[in-house]
Amino acid sequence: MHPVQLFHWHFMAYPYLPPDFDERYDTGWVTVPNSLWDRERTDGLYQEYIDQSVEAAELGFDGLVLNEHHQNIYGLMPSPNIVAAALTQRTERAKLVVLGNLLPLHLNPLRVAEEYAMIDSISGGRLIAGFAVGGGPEAYNYNIPSPQARQRFWESIDLIMRTWTEDGPFEHEGPSYPLRYVNIWPKPRQVPHPQVWIPGALSAETMDNVAKRGFDYFLSSRTHGAATRQARERFAEILERNGDAYNPFRMGVLLSVYVGETDAQAKEEAEEGVWYFLKYCLKGHLRRTGRTLTFGPGVPSQSVRSWRAYLENSTAGAPMLGDAEDWEDLESKASIVVGGPATVREKLWDLIEQAEVGNLLIQFHFGNMKDALARKSARLFAEEVAPALRERSADLFARKYPSLADRPAASAAE
Amino acid sequence: MSGRAVALPRGRTVAVAEAGEGPVIVYLHGIADIHGASFGWLPFHEALVERFALIAPAHPGCAESSEDEAIETVDDLVFHYLELFDALGLGTLKLAGSCIGGWIAAEIAVRHPERVERLALIGPTGLFVPGAPIADVFWETHPADGVSFAGLRALLFGDGESGIAREMFPDLRGDIDREVLRYKLFRFASRIGFSPPYLHDRRLAGRLGRFRAPALAIQGADDRLVPRRHGEVYAEGFGDARLEVVEGAGHSAFAERPGAVAALVADFLAAP
Repeated sequence: MHPVQLFHWHFMAYPYLPPDFDERYDTGWVTVPNSLWDRERTDGLYQEYIDQSVEAAELGFDGLVLNEHHQNIYGLMPSPNIVAAALTQRTERAKLVVLGNLLPLHLNPLRVAEEYAMIDSISGGRLIAGFAVGGGPEAYNYNIPSPQARQRFWESIDLIMRTWTEDGPFEHEGPSYPLRYVNIWPKPRQVPHPQVWIPGALSAETMDNVAKRGFDYFLSSRTHGAATRQARERFAEILERNGDAYNPFRMGVLLSVYVGETDAQAKEEAEEGVWYFLKYCLKGHLRRTGRTLTFGPGVPSQSVRSWRAYLENSTAGAPMLGDAEDWEDLESKASIVVGGPATVREKLWDLIEQAEVGNLLIQFHFGNMKDALARKSARLFAEEVAPALRERSADLFARKYPSLADRPAASAAE
Repeated sequence: MSGRAVALPRGRTVAVAEAGEGPVIVYLHGIADIHGASFGWLPFHEALVERFALIAPAHPGCAESSEDEAIETVDDLVFHYLELFDALGLGTLKLAGSCIGGWIAAEIAVRHPERVERLALIGPTGLFVPGAPIADVFWETHPADGVSFAGLRALLFGDGESGIAREMFPDLRGDIDREVLRYKLFRFASRIGFSPPYLHDRRLAGRLGRFRAPALAIQGADDRLVPRRHGEVYAEGFGDARLEVVEGAGHSAFAERPGAVAALVADFLAAP
């Protein structure tokens, strides 16, 4: 059986911003003053977040997701590999998904090949290797010229794959990372190599590069069923063009979820953290107020043609996720799922059924959410939402994708 | 104005605007400029056209010039322009440039002083001056409120709310073609000038002395993108140069006070 794979994603937000943060500071990214860091209150913060992830593994989540951000309050993991290393010591079965290392920010991709190989070895082959280009804030953080970033990104990936699959020493001729002696010790535990996931936000160019290499695609925009289905259809078409075929485990999607005992209780418990996340963490990223550093002419990674298409098909100053004005507005965007078990089950099933996507990567902790609430939500999800999703999705996927029967089962929960 | 596409090796084409008769000036554009934020000549260029044959190529990827993925540093552009000069049959020439174009012009002049008769730079970027960094124009392309380019205009003009500033940089979706033109300009500028931050070459200052023919640096008195010290370093570094500061103008002095700046440039470049 091949049920939907359920992953617990922790962003590790900075939770102690002052209540007047929005009035006093114009962004949560790049230039947000690090003097706001509270030395006393943050003692034990990383431990709290790591413990939440470990508990998720104990609850039967199939994997734990970490990602890389710099100089911001949205995610406190400049090096997710350090947290992944810690998790190797506290978990036994869960996949460790680093989604991903931002390759153009690394002086040399060899270092990523080596660190991922170490994580895979230490964890006994549990790494899912994510690679990402990095968005606008990261371009400013590390002064990465955006027009060159994608070329460097794919060169890095192709080099890393060679280090994992070919015997060394060999020479890599560049152009960006020429190396005379490539010969990493160790190679990853998994043969031929750990699964590779590449995040994207619907760009056909990225999907095409993913498909060509036989990797899996991860849709990084918090989106709802219809848009996820469109992404899947586009990716499936691109896979076919490359002589490959789609199945639900070729794609993942990011979701934000809070489960309470009832709809009313869920809303009451989630609200503070969700607003903190939307108004503070997304300021500078996905919110009109406070400069959207994520894309634009200052970080021109997109081709001219795709920029023109974007301009022609969007409205200036159109509201983004962080611009939600009230709870009803937020619910109508359907980007964050908050409710009792039945509601969450129904909404996520709707997504799985519409989009036929087999990897759900779920954010449970929002902004300044209290430890007890984030844990309770993940537990309710594991106990009251996950079983039904697994059962129904296994039937659905078996029916729609009969070729899956030839695949070994991958679920840690089985 | 007439324009043509000039073919270069490796399949590249350069869009070149041309007008006027007389001695040839090659003009390398900047941001608030032809090929950067305007599809045609500005009054400054029109004033030069009365006395000179003005040739204004669009940088690689700008306007209708083909994009060149091979360009990573300003060095690559020096070779690009040498190839263009050869294609145009220009042996020696009078060279002018503003903003990023001024930087590129200076790089050409210090590498090939024998080809540049006279050099005029308006608000040139290009230098690293400790303690006086070039401001972050990339950052200002992200509107603070999601729509308005007031911050970008304030960096590029003495009076960011003046007619010319608002015409060239209307708020978002005021003019999609112009937004695409600007995107191309920033994509080009990002290739050579995003790292190190921003728009400079650390080695250039030490090389300025190689250019001994007459040079003129012009800076708006209220230039907020390029600190005044940069104009002074250019003027002190070249063998034979002076700095003119234009009152009532910011970084885009040629656009803000076209008559005064065109007169300075024309009188300077007309000398033998």
